[in-house]
Amino acid sequence: MSFFIPYLLFASLSLTVISGIAALGGRAMIFHKLSQIFLALSGLLGMAASVAVFLSPEIGMRVSIASAKFSPVFGLDLFGAVFFFLVSLVSVLCAVYAVPYLRSYRTTYHLPSLNALVAAFVLGMQIVIVSTGPFPFMIGWEIMSLASFFLVVSDRSAESVRAALLYLVMTHLGAAAILAAFLLLAQGSFFADFSLLTNLAGTAPAWVLPVSFGLFLFGFGSKSGLVPFHVWLPEAHPAAPSHVSALMSGVMLKIAIYGFLRVTLFLLPPIGTTASLVILGFGLLTALYGVLYAALDRDFKRTLAFSSIENIGLIFTMIGISFFAASRGLEVLFEVVFSAAVFFTIAHALFKSGLFLISGVVVRAFHSRSLEKMGGLSKRLPVFSAFFCILALAAASLPPFGPFFGEWMFFQSLLGHFSLHDPFVNAILLLTFAISALVGGLAIFAMVKLFALSMLAESRSPENALEHCERPAWGEMFSIGVFTLSVLLLGPFAPAVMALIRGEAAVPSLWLLSVGSAAIQPSVLLLFLFACVLAVWILRRLMSRVEHERAYHRWDCGAPVNASMEYTATAFSAPIRFFFRLILRTKKSVDVLPVLATNPWIASKSFNMNLRSIWMDFGYLPLGRFFIGLSLQVKKIQSGNIRFYLFLIFAALILTLRIAL
Amino acid sequence: MTTIVALILQLVLVLLLSPLTIGLVRWFKARLQGRLGAPPWIVYTALLTTLKKQHVISENVSWVFRFVPFAVLGMAAFLVLSLPLLFSNGGLPQIDLFILAGVLSLGSVFLVFGGLDAGTAFGGMGASREMTIAALVEPVALITFSAFAVVAGSSSIQDVFGNGMSVFSHPALVLSFAALVLVALAENARYPVDNPATHLELTMVHEAMLLEYSGPYLAMLEYASSIKLTVFLVLLGNLIWVKPSAALAPEAIGLAAAGILSTLIVGSFALALLESSIAKMRFFRLQEYMSVAFFLSLSGFILVFLL
Amino acid sequence: MYILNLFQTLFLGPKVTEHPSAFASDDELETAGSELKRIIDALYGGRSLRIRAVDGGSTNAEEIELTALGNAYYDIERFGLSFVASPRHADMLFVTGPVTRNLETAVKTTYEATPHPCIVVAVGDGACTGGIWKDSYAVVGAVENVIPVHLKIPGDPPSPAQILKALMGVLKHPA
Repeated sequence: MSFFIPYLLFASLSLTVISGIAALGGRAMIFHKLSQIFLALSGLLGMAASVAVFLSPEIGMRVSIASAKFSPVFGLDLFGAVFFFLVSLVSVLCAVYAVPYLRSYRTTYHLPSLNALVAAFVLGMQIVIVSTGPFPFMIGWEIMSLASFFLVVSDRSAESVRAALLYLVMTHLGAAAILAAFLLLAQGSFFADFSLLTNLAGTAPAWVLPVSFGLFLFGFGSKSGLVPFHVWLPEAHPAAPSHVSALMSGVMLKIAIYGFLRVTLFLLPPIGTTASLVILGFGLLTALYGVLYAALDRDFKRTLAFSSIENIGLIFTMIGISFFAASRGLEVLFEVVFSAAVFFTIAHALFKSGLFLISGVVVRAFHSRSLEKMGGLSKRLPVFSAFFCILALAAASLPPFGPFFGEWMFFQSLLGHFSLHDPFVNAILLLTFAISALVGGLAIFAMVKLFALSMLAESRSPENALEHCERPAWGEMFSIGVFTLSVLLLGPFAPAVMALIRGEAAVPSLWLLSVGSAAIQPSVLLLFLFACVLAVWILRRLMSRVEHERAYHRWDCGAPVNASMEYTATAFSAPIRFFFRLILRTKKSVDVLPVLATNPWIASKSFNMNLRSIWMDFGYLPLGRFFIGLSLQVKKIQSGNIRFYLFLIFAALILTLRIAL
Repeated sequence: MTTIVALILQLVLVLLLSPLTIGLVRWFKARLQGRLGAPPWIVYTALLTTLKKQHVISENVSWVFRFVPFAVLGMAAFLVLSLPLLFSNGGLPQIDLFILAGVLSLGSVFLVFGGLDAGTAFGGMGASREMTIAALVEPVALITFSAFAVVAGSSSIQDVFGNGMSVFSHPALVLSFAALVLVALAENARYPVDNPATHLELTMVHEAMLLEYSGPYLAMLEYASSIKLTVFLVLLGNLIWVKPSAALAPEAIGLAAAGILSTLIVGSFALALLESSIAKMRFFRLQEYMSVAFFLSLSGFILVFLL
Repeated sequence: MYILNLFQTLFLGPKVTEHPSAFASDDELETAGSELKRIIDALYGGRSLRIRAVDGGSTNAEEIELTALGNAYYDIERFGLSFVASPRHADMLFVTGPVTRNLETAVKTTYEATPHPCIVVAVGDGACTGGIWKDSYAVVGAVENVIPVHLKIPGDPPSPAQILKALMGVLKHPA
């Protein structure tokens, strides 16, 4: 058996390639199915490989092609295996989901190229994780970026193309920054592997380290959606087909975090207090900004994208705190918060992928992404909505679901390390605690809005779209159900998962999480909560035995009400918009146009509200205008006069000679 | 075995006393308004009367609507079972302040679902307001509880509220205590956040979400909110003068029960006095209330370190 | 200072509430219908009932009297009765006015929206018989033409004391 294990990884990568090739076979449904089957198989093998590494982490796994000269050596260590497992799991479930999901979008997408691109996308992510040197790493990174760019444009609408171009620019600025940082660190030996790079980093000149850290932070940060480099994310993620959004939001963001951690933990020397505070600052800003927009946005998938930004912010906050702790010599805080960050990353991959898969079914049912047109799906699809309810509550980090315990460990270790003698540490921890708590509260708002407005009440779309809505197929329900179950089980099995990712600092036994003096058994909490609800149900049965229920239409104060009078997403989030208006600077305008010149009271009024992005309006757009203005100035020398050009060439020559000699 | 007996005693006592709390608040309020008011125990009859009635369920609601009363009352039962109310080590020893805050939010979230599911405008309005309040109160609750936890040296609820730690023995907690009062008022939908006696739908927060419920479901939701108010009053009382019983001895239990009863009487009088002497805030002015609460809790936290 | 004045009024002010014996029931109201007796027995003797006021097209005279029930003189709350905001919560409907054709549906749906058992009280002459609008083309007439009525309180409008008297005749009040 152990003979096969190293080949698992290789087989997984090969099957991903085969899946892409199978997809290109043709437009027939059989090739579509074949491609998904191969992708699922690849994921299953990948999961097996990761589990093998979990069980014997000291061995690791290396696949080498000895004959090649510049052999890219692939390997998988424990840290990579965590992320490889996530990629594999999500791609298996996305493949299962895609079989029926893409069938209903046969005409919208070009299936062969779409499936091939998905395979390439997954392959890119796999390569990034298993690569042991900057060269294969960058190749994987580029495959992933380019494939996802084409996936964003796959519905060929003007809106998607705009989003994709923004994404292309941002992701390549990021890739360039990462490449530059690797080149700076490698000092010429680009084909070295990471262990050599670590040694080189130790001897690098003093200015190289901060510069390459900054470049890495920008590169990986722009990919994972750190504010203010996030502007592409809420546009690009929703534009892709939903199972691709799940891959992008659930896994691709994790790849960026993986890259950042790989670099900061294994390549660079331990980073100092200032650098960790920079990470922390970006993390807190991202979390706060992301959650505010998640609470406000009126587009189903954009809300999820903003919620991803918020979660990434929290993860970076945790990373920042743990590095800060390490630089201050607080060893326990470092270990616990770091494993909490990894745990939360796992949890986020699960619930966010699940929610994006749900968004596919919801958007298909309403033919719209706008929350203003949704509602009433829970009556039609009760099981589906129960899955959604659990995933949404989990995404809001409420007990007793998995993600809650990630935040629990984080908050508990912050609380345990408020010390009386170091005011600086106290101030940092207190600030982090306060902002994270605020973010946690608003995250509940965002998720409740998402679930309640799409599932409850009645459909808000004028033409009753739900009459003929397409029910989720078995494949779709299976994938969503598995994600729901995993989020539900991640709670009681949180200590086991922590033990698996070697966060032993927080796990004294297999059912107990412990941080400092606080300990909790997640399984007991889950059972206790369920027992309370069940006890109430039984009591209710005993108290009033007779079932005397009568159906009558909702209380309407005497005049019939209809769906257009329901509370909308805009109205639901109005208090948050009002309370945070100083930060959000929302533009609201009512235009009154008189219909008759003689009577000002007869007028047509139109209401317009712009949930603008302050980074776009006050950051990127002015910057863009500045560059356009600058180039217009430079353009003035383009006079069309050939003698002037000859003079310029001559002047340039003189200048070059002057510098060279 | 003794734990189970203690748990059952605590559950029974709090469940029995909680309608009385609501009745007492109403009675004191009536007296303060110069009326005679209904006797405090009328609330029991009111609950029993409601239990006897029919459910009228809207035709267009889903499973969520029916699940909500069970979830909300279940969360309230969870609070009673897991907090040190009658016994200082009542309930699960592992319940800490983060779980307490999480379960409180979970209850609010389900109430919001119930308010929205019928699809009436008033329900939606109440739901939106309740969710805003819950989302902004949760961080305040977390920070306040943490200040207590730092003083108690443990984040366990039993160590914070059960071990006789009081504002008098730890004066640094006075700001945090004030913040906790603000949290309690907002969580229980009392003045100045919400008017529990209003008939005007446009000013409602908590009531607006219940407008569609009737019969036993309504009784369950009203019972749950009375339990929540009782639990908060007892917790606040624990921070001032009452100490839960540490042992399962009759006299200790009697003392603790008397403590709870006196807390409820004094607490409901204080609440009635507050509600009679201040006005309800306009909903959009609540941002000031929430900001005051947030910064009060932060200052309380800092004060804990300074003193 | 203002607060002190407030407290002085609250604690030391005159006690104005009428004694319950002022509303001792007349004999004629003892003759309530058997249906009403059954409902009241089922609901714990009507010790605690919630009222929803329904305007079936009244002149608002009855509404003003109903509002007066809540003040310190009559203090309906001490008898366990209170007004609520939704018929879903109500045990008792106070219907006022001759039911106009416009409000017929409203009265009907309110009755249907109320969980049974539910007591319907017709308040005022208009609600009892149609009053001075009886036989007008714009009204349906008495409330019993639209929904079943259990108790009638005549008067144009009935004073709060009359309303309380009528209620006390049928309910077992706790005070």
